[in-house]
Amino acid sequence: MSESSIEPPLRRFSNLRSVRWRVDLGILPCSDSSSIDDLRRAAADSRRRYASLRRRLLIDSHLPADENVSSDLVIDNPLSQNPDSKWGRLFRNAELEKVVDEDLSRLYPEDGSYFQTPACQAMLRRILLLWCIRHPEYGYRQGMHELLAPLVYVLHVDLDHLSRVRKLHEDCFIDVFDGNNSFPDVDLISNYRFQKTNKWDSVPGKGNDSHESTPKTSSIDDLDPETKEIFLLSDPYGAEGELGIILSERFMEHDAYSKFDALMNGANDGVISMAEFFSPALSIGSSSGLPPIIEASSALYHLLSVVDSSLHSHFVELGVEPQYFALRWLRVLFGREFALDDLLLVWDELFASSNHMCIESNTEYSFKLLCSGRGAFIAALAVSMLLHLRSSLLATENATSCLQRLLNFPQNVDMKKLIEKAKALQGLALDVGCSSTSSHFSISKNNLAVRRGYSLPTGSASPKSPNHSLPDSYWEERWRVLHKEEALKKGNKSLGERFNLSRTESDPSPAKNAQTKARAPSATVRRRLFDDSPKDTRKSDADDGRSRCDENPAAPIESVSLSNKADREKQFEEEGSSSGENSSVLSATLSHDESIGNDPENESEKSSVTSNSFIGDNDEESCSQEFIISQAVQEAEAASSSAKAERAGSLLEKSASLKEKKPLSSKLQWLWKFGRASGEANTEKGGAEDSEKQSSVNNGKDSSCCSAPNGTCNSCEATSRRVDVGDTKVMGTLKNLGQSMLENIQ
Amino acid sequence: MVLVLALGDLHIPHRAPDLPAKFKSMLVPGKIQHIICTGNLCIKEVHDYLKSLCPDLHVTRGEYDEDARYPENKTLTIGQFKLGICHGHQVIPWGDLDSLAMLQRQLDVDILVTGHTHQFKAYKHEGGVVINPGSATGAYSSITYDVNPSFVLMDIDGLRVVVYVYELIDGEVKVDKIDFKKNATTHVSH
Repeated sequence: MSESSIEPPLRRFSNLRSVRWRVDLGILPCSDSSSIDDLRRAAADSRRRYASLRRRLLIDSHLPADENVSSDLVIDNPLSQNPDSKWGRLFRNAELEKVVDEDLSRLYPEDGSYFQTPACQAMLRRILLLWCIRHPEYGYRQGMHELLAPLVYVLHVDLDHLSRVRKLHEDCFIDVFDGNNSFPDVDLISNYRFQKTNKWDSVPGKGNDSHESTPKTSSIDDLDPETKEIFLLSDPYGAEGELGIILSERFMEHDAYSKFDALMNGANDGVISMAEFFSPALSIGSSSGLPPIIEASSALYHLLSVVDSSLHSHFVELGVEPQYFALRWLRVLFGREFALDDLLLVWDELFASSNHMCIESNTEYSFKLLCSGRGAFIAALAVSMLLHLRSSLLATENATSCLQRLLNFPQNVDMKKLIEKAKALQGLALDVGCSSTSSHFSISKNNLAVRRGYSLPTGSASPKSPNHSLPDSYWEERWRVLHKEEALKKGNKSLGERFNLSRTESDPSPAKNAQTKARAPSATVRRRLFDDSPKDTRKSDADDGRSRCDENPAAPIESVSLSNKADREKQFEEEGSSSGENSSVLSATLSHDESIGNDPENESEKSSVTSNSFIGDNDEESCSQEFIISQAVQEAEAASSSAKAERAGSLLEKSASLKEKKPLSSKLQWLWKFGRASGEANTEKGGAEDSEKQSSVNNGKDSSCCSAPNGTCNSCEATSRRVDVGDTKVMGTLKNLGQSMLENIQ
Repeated sequence: MVLVLALGDLHIPHRAPDLPAKFKSMLVPGKIQHIICTGNLCIKEVHDYLKSLCPDLHVTRGEYDEDARYPENKTLTIGQFKLGICHGHQVIPWGDLDSLAMLQRQLDVDILVTGHTHQFKAYKHEGGVVINPGSATGAYSSITYDVNPSFVLMDIDGLRVVVYVYELIDGEVKVDKIDFKKNATTHVSH
């Protein structure tokens, strides 16, 4: 009878959305073997629950006087301040109702024909009120009504469908005495006549053609399986009688309430409970101390960084925090982004994914959102939406326009493609979620650090905004002041001036350059070429680099990077934020044996690793350089401004290996924070920066003496980078690096 | 479910400084839809305070009121009930039920609210109700001894009115409730 036997993708009740959703949400039994009777019983139970709830909680203040004899009037008078008093509850409910009404009046005005009718509004109001009274810890938050509306809508649609089917197969649904069996002879004749007269009376062609076409003895067995199912579902004589009619108008409110409740509570130990998104309280079980909606938003960003790191870093640089737009997306499950019909498609998929926890219960997880199929789908859909807008988002130059773009999601979206993509990413999201458990601590800290990191001056993505909107931390300021003088000494190139960071000529860099020059003559050529036409050369270089880099397997690079780590890190200190990031990327990769568990991320990490490995390995260096270039190309191409590319090129010139491109830098910084968090506690940051500062001061002195030889290389950028790293370990190794560099020069 | 507050004879500032603190804590804005004041507030500040509790305020003139513009009598309709307000010093003998009934017939109201005696009374009389909310501050009265602060809250719902009486006896707020039904079998239930 059910269509589940046909194919797994074609699910049972595929044309009856409300029933399918009820199955998905756990209200109705979901196993394919459950019969119609089971469904009916489950439905009846849920309805009974709602009815009793309604009776209990909707207070009628005008109960007969005699029942109040025992109640204490001091408590129960209208002016009583006592929270227990019935009147107090009444007033509170009245206030709640006012708030709910405000929202309801604004619900779906474009589909107003259904939602704005008083009956529907009354029903929605009652459901919301009851739920909020039942769950006082959440109260009513704006957005709950938008979650409820589609649930009611599908019920309504199904009822329409049912009535249409009823009209088509009237003879089956009519409550004839003999019900399902074929009609006895006597009735047969009269029925036939009945049909005939019907045909004469009603408008021709309205639907009576079906009457003609249906055989005279129309029993339900002749109906197609779907209709048969519908009939059985709505048979008033089936299990549980009228209460069991699955598609019943009378119990629409009950069903809607059960669905809403299931959705909000994440029924049956589900992972995703929407109510959590509305509460500011911290979620239990998650290791990060964040409100669930914030955590979910950062889960979103985490997935985005895995899938499309350049877009992610773009967001990070603009300072667009995920919850600015994700709050709305997540709280209403994209209800505000898509039209109602599209939304139903999305929710179909969403509910189809299971809500069960897919990692063992004892492990800590950092992103609750990614721990279940449903949550993963939510995250994946959000990411696919972001990717859909990718080009226009990357073109935005400040947070406001970016958010504007995000919050006005285009209306005419190809939903199928979007959902397909989301499904593809869903598996990825699940992996990310599962693998992130092992490095949960770092991730959670990373989230905090990322948020703090956003406030650190990383250098904005857009060179046109020289003034950083976010305040520098104290040490960054000191560093900047210190190196500004040196930058001024050298006379910045116009390119350098555009960046709010000025790079000092520190010993590692000239050493690097010298080394580079000595070792790779082609590098100089490349550098000069960079000057002229960064993009073109880089493209060709990128190709070379890619091909070369492909030969290098990951493992040796990592091991090499280990040895090079010290050197690199020293250099990083001078080179500013992303240099530190690079080193910490190494530490990140080293400390995370499992890494992030995702190929794109691994790739990026390896690339940054390779980018960092410059010492002692020519090929590797040039390869890394090119790889960096290729990355820079990718990101530069993605970026709107060519200045970014130029800067990337100039950065390449500056050091043998890529130090910091703005896009890469932010990404690396993010990765660096990743690794940092795993290594040390966040609190050490200040102290680390302090020590970092001192070492940088030392090197600053050295750098000044090296400025002369550096001035010789025309391609050297005079920009100095702020030091952003705070890792003591990094600093130590950087010191060693600097020493070796110095020796190399002299 | 309309809440109507009835009070009067506050005599602020002459005979009492202010409402009792416990009464004041109960009277919060937002719950009450109408306020009926029988008179003798006496100053404008009290009027403003009552106005802050509820914008719909009806006051009649008491003999000590400083604002001479209040009317002597007032009638208003709330729900199914017609209410009449008068201070009561005009009706002699003061507090006499029959004379008040005469006033009730004259004003043609279902509920008559009067004051002046500083004593709470609630009668059902000839198909109507006569309510005296007493003195909300417990101000001295020449005709009543041992005045307790009291006021009345009426819950008007359809054809039924529930009268809650709040009295401050020995520093404690005591609440009592009286049910009246209009055009029904006359019965007073406690």
